[in-house]
Amino acid sequence: MSKPTPDVYEQGKGMDAHNQVMREIRSRKEASYDPHEPTRVWLDEDNTPDGVKQSLTIILNTGGCRWARAGGCTMCGYVAESVDGGSVSHDALMDQIDVCLAHEAENGDEPAELIKIYTSGSFFDEREVGAETRKAIAETFADRERIVLESLPDFVDREKIGEFTQYGIDTDVAIGLETATDRVRHDCVNKYFDFADFEDACAEAAAADDAAAEGADAGVKAYLLMKPPFLTESEAIEDMIDSIERCADVSGCHTVSMNPCNVQRYTMVDELYFSSGYRPPWLWSVAHVLEKTADVDAIVVSDPVGHGSDRGPHNCGECDDLVQKAIKDFDLRQDPSVFEQVSCECELTWETVRERERGFNQPLTR
Amino acid sequence: MTDYFEVHERDGAARVGELRLESPRTTPALVDDVVEDAGSLWSADREVPEGDDSTLTVLPHRSFPGGTAEEVQESFAVEYPDVGYPSVAVISSEGAADHGTDAYAVSDVQSITGHGAALVEAVVSVREAIPADTALLFSGVATPRNVALLAYAGVDLFDETAAVVKGTQGRYLTTDEAYFLEDLEELPCSCPACQKPREEFTREDCAEHNVNALEAELGIVRRRIRDGRLRDYLEGQARHDQWLTAAMRELDSQWGYLEERTPILRDAQISAASEDTLRRVEIQRYADRVTSRYRNRFANPLVLAPCSAAKPYSESQSHRQFHDAIQWRGHLVSMTSPIGVVPQELETTYPAQHYDTVVTGRWSADEKEFVAKVLRRYLERNADTYPYVVAHVPDEGYRDIVERVEDGWEGEDLDITYTVPRGGHPTDEESLSNLAEALSGELKYSKREREHNTVRAIADYLLGDGAGDELFDDIQTTSRYPKIQVRDREDTQLATMVPQYGTLSFTLEGAKRWVETDAPVRRVEIDGFVPHGSVLAPGVVDADEDIRVGDEVVVEGPKAFGVGRAEMFGREMAGSTRGIACEIRHVEEK
Repeated sequence: MSKPTPDVYEQGKGMDAHNQVMREIRSRKEASYDPHEPTRVWLDEDNTPDGVKQSLTIILNTGGCRWARAGGCTMCGYVAESVDGGSVSHDALMDQIDVCLAHEAENGDEPAELIKIYTSGSFFDEREVGAETRKAIAETFADRERIVLESLPDFVDREKIGEFTQYGIDTDVAIGLETATDRVRHDCVNKYFDFADFEDACAEAAAADDAAAEGADAGVKAYLLMKPPFLTESEAIEDMIDSIERCADVSGCHTVSMNPCNVQRYTMVDELYFSSGYRPPWLWSVAHVLEKTADVDAIVVSDPVGHGSDRGPHNCGECDDLVQKAIKDFDLRQDPSVFEQVSCECELTWETVRERERGFNQPLTR
Repeated sequence: MTDYFEVHERDGAARVGELRLESPRTTPALVDDVVEDAGSLWSADREVPEGDDSTLTVLPHRSFPGGTAEEVQESFAVEYPDVGYPSVAVISSEGAADHGTDAYAVSDVQSITGHGAALVEAVVSVREAIPADTALLFSGVATPRNVALLAYAGVDLFDETAAVVKGTQGRYLTTDEAYFLEDLEELPCSCPACQKPREEFTREDCAEHNVNALEAELGIVRRRIRDGRLRDYLEGQARHDQWLTAAMRELDSQWGYLEERTPILRDAQISAASEDTLRRVEIQRYADRVTSRYRNRFANPLVLAPCSAAKPYSESQSHRQFHDAIQWRGHLVSMTSPIGVVPQELETTYPAQHYDTVVTGRWSADEKEFVAKVLRRYLERNADTYPYVVAHVPDEGYRDIVERVEDGWEGEDLDITYTVPRGGHPTDEESLSNLAEALSGELKYSKREREHNTVRAIADYLLGDGAGDELFDDIQTTSRYPKIQVRDREDTQLATMVPQYGTLSFTLEGAKRWVETDAPVRRVEIDGFVPHGSVLAPGVVDADEDIRVGDEVVVEGPKAFGVGRAEMFGREMAGSTRGIACEIRHVEEK
C-alpha cells in the first residue's frame, strides 16, 4: 500500500506556509507595551503534588516569543502582547517583578506558596531572561514553596533548575507540549519540537531533582492544547487522551494541564473562526478527557479560558457554567465522580458531533 | 475516469444520477450508509484502504475548513492515489481540481452554506473544476429546507448529519421552517416518527423526523428533476429562507454555468408565477435568440398583439379573431410576459408554447421593463423590414410598453398605429375593424412564403444568425403546419419541423447540407465505429462547446456520419467517461 502523502513537515513546506501566514496575520496588530509592566498578574489557587496552594501567576513581558516572530503557533495571540523590537533589560524585568509583588501584597492575605512565571516564550532562554535576572528572581522567591517556570524543552537545563532548587524551592518547568502527537504538534499547531525533546527535558528535570537539596523537588508540568485547528471534535478528544497517557508515563512529568483552545485575535485560528471554519471544543469534551484519564499517574488539570463564550470552549449556553464548575472542582480534588453530577440535553448533540463530525463537514455546530 | 457514477437526467445544473455501487443508488440522495471515511491526515498518517464496490470510500484527506489561507492549502495539499473502487477526494472550494475520483467532498462546506453568493461561487468553481460525470458531496449541511436549492445548484450527494444534529438541538425541520420543538403544540407532519403523542416526542424522535422530512424532500427533488421542473418548485420553496432565494438569484447571474447546463427544450411547462421567472435561462435565452439570431423575412407591416392563455397562440380564440382581421397581411408578433416578444414563426418554439403565467392584467415594473427591452432590441434589428407598425394592444401593460419603446426610439420613425381604442379590448368589434382597416391595401403573403419563412426562422433560432438562409435558401415545403417537411428541389427530405418544441429534426441529407454551409454546425466527433441508437460518452472524441441538451447534432467519425439529438452539453460529452452523449436518428457507414 502506498502512502497517500509525503510528510510535508519533514520538507518544511507546511511550516513555511504556516509561518508566512501567521506573520502576515500578526503584522496587522499595531500595539506596543511598556516593558516595565508585566503582561498580566493574578492570584488563584492551584493543585500541586503537595496539595492545593495559593498561587501568584505572572506573565512576564520578556520581549516575547522568538518563534512567534518567525510566525509561530497557529492559535497563539500572546506574542502580540510583547514589546516591540525584542529584549527587555534586567532592570525593566525586575520592575515587572516589583509590580507583581505589589499586586500580591495588595490583593492577597499572605505571600502565595506557589509562584508561576510564564513569558510567552522561555524563561530559561538566555536571550529572554539573562543569568543575572534569573538569579535575582530565584533570590526574590527563595522563601516560597514552589515555583513554576515556563520554557521550551530545548532550554531546560539541570543547572538552571538547580539555581532555584538550591533555595529549597520545589521547581517545576512548564512546557507547552500541546500534544504528544508530533504530527499534530507540527502540522496543526506549528510548534517545531518533537515529543522526544520533551522527554529529554523531563530527563533534565529528573536529573535536577536527583541533584536537588533535601526537601526540594524538580519536575515538569506539561501543557496540552485541546483541539488545535483542523481536527474534529473526536480527533481532538482522542489526541488529548493519548497525550495525557503518554505524558504521565514520562518520568519527571508529574502534572498535565490540558487546556481547551480559545480563539485569540491575530491568529490563524481566528481567521478560521471568522469564516465558520473553527469551533472551540465542547466543555463536555474537556470533562470527558479528564474523566477518561483520571487514573493516570499524574495530576491532570484543566483551566478553560473564556468558557461559555463563542470564542472559548462551550456547550449549549445553558450548562456551561455548571460544567466549568465541575472541571474546576476536578482540578482540585481529582475525583471524576464530579462529572456524574452534571448533565444537559446538549450532551446528545455533543455525542452526535463526536460520531458524525468529519474533516469535510466541520464544524458541525456553532 | 469515472466508473461509479453516471448522470441519467439533467435539469439545468441539477441531475438525477446513479451511484453505481454494488447496490446502486439514485441521486440526489443521502449516502450516510455507503460512505466510508479513510480518515484525516491532520491527525495521523493513513494507509490507503482496501476499499470495495459496496461503499464510497473517502480517500485519506487533509481538509481545509473555511478561512484556511491559500499558502497552507498549497503546502499541505494531498496527492490522491489512483484506486480501483468507488472513491471520493476531499477538495476545498478554492482549490478544486480533478483528482480522478468518482466523487468530491467540499471541505469548507459549513462556510459556504447559508450565504447565497458564497454558495454559488463555490459550487460553480468546484463544478467547473471537476468532471461533469462525477458526483458532488456536501456533508453535514442538508436540511429539508435547503436541499432542493443545493441540488438545483449542482450538488448530488448529501447526508443525514445536519438534520440529526439539529434534531438533537430541538429544532424541528420542515421544508419551510426550522421550528423550535418546544414551541410546537402539535407536530405539523405525519411521518412515522411523528405518530407519537406530542408529550412523548423526544429530541431523538425530532432527529428521526428531520431525516424523514429530508428523505421526502429529496424524493420530490428527484421527481422534479426528471420532470424538468425543479426550478418551478424552487421559485416557490426557496422563499422560505432568504439565503436560498438569494442563492437562486445569484445562480441566475452565473449565466455561463447555468445556460450551458439548461436544455433547449422540454416537455414540461414553465410556470411563470414569480418575478424570478423572468431571469430563468430559458426565458432569457429565448429573448436573446429572438433578438440576435432571428430575422424577419416578411415585407408586410408588423402587427403587435397581446399573447393568449391558449398555446400556441394561433389556436386561441383571440388570435383567431386577430387572424380573421389580419388575413396574412401583417407579420404577427405577440407580446408577453415573461417571454418578451414571439414572432409568429416561433410561436411553437420552446418555451413560447410551454409557459403558463398568472393572469391578473396587472403588470409589474420589472415585467414592463423586460418586455420593453426585448421589443426595443427586436425593433432595432428588424424595424427597417417593416413599412409601418400596427399596435393592436390593450391599455394596461401592453400599450405602456409600446409607447415606452416609441418614446425612446432614436431610429427612423416607427410609424405606429394604435388600433385598440382607449379602454377597449383587442377583440372588440371596433378594435378588430380598426385592425383590418389599418392593413387595408396590403397584399397577403402566400402559404408557401409563410412556411418557408417559418422553417428558416426556426433554423436561425436553433443554429445561429443567418442559418435559415444558409440552409434553406432554395427549398420546398410539404405537409401541413405545424408539421412542415422541408425538401430540396429534387424532393429529397432535409428536415421536419417538430411541432411540440418548434424545432427541426434533420435527415441525413439535411445534415449533409448543413455541414456544407457556413451555418454554425454542432458537431460531435466520434471514434471509428458506427453508432446505432445512442452514442456513449467514451465513444466521443470531441464535441462543440456550443452544444446544449436537446440540440440537433451532426455525429461524425472515421466510419460513420449521422445526425441526432444531444443528451449532454458539449463539454460534458467531451469530458465524460459514462452516460449517453447523444441519441442517433439517422446514420450511415462511410
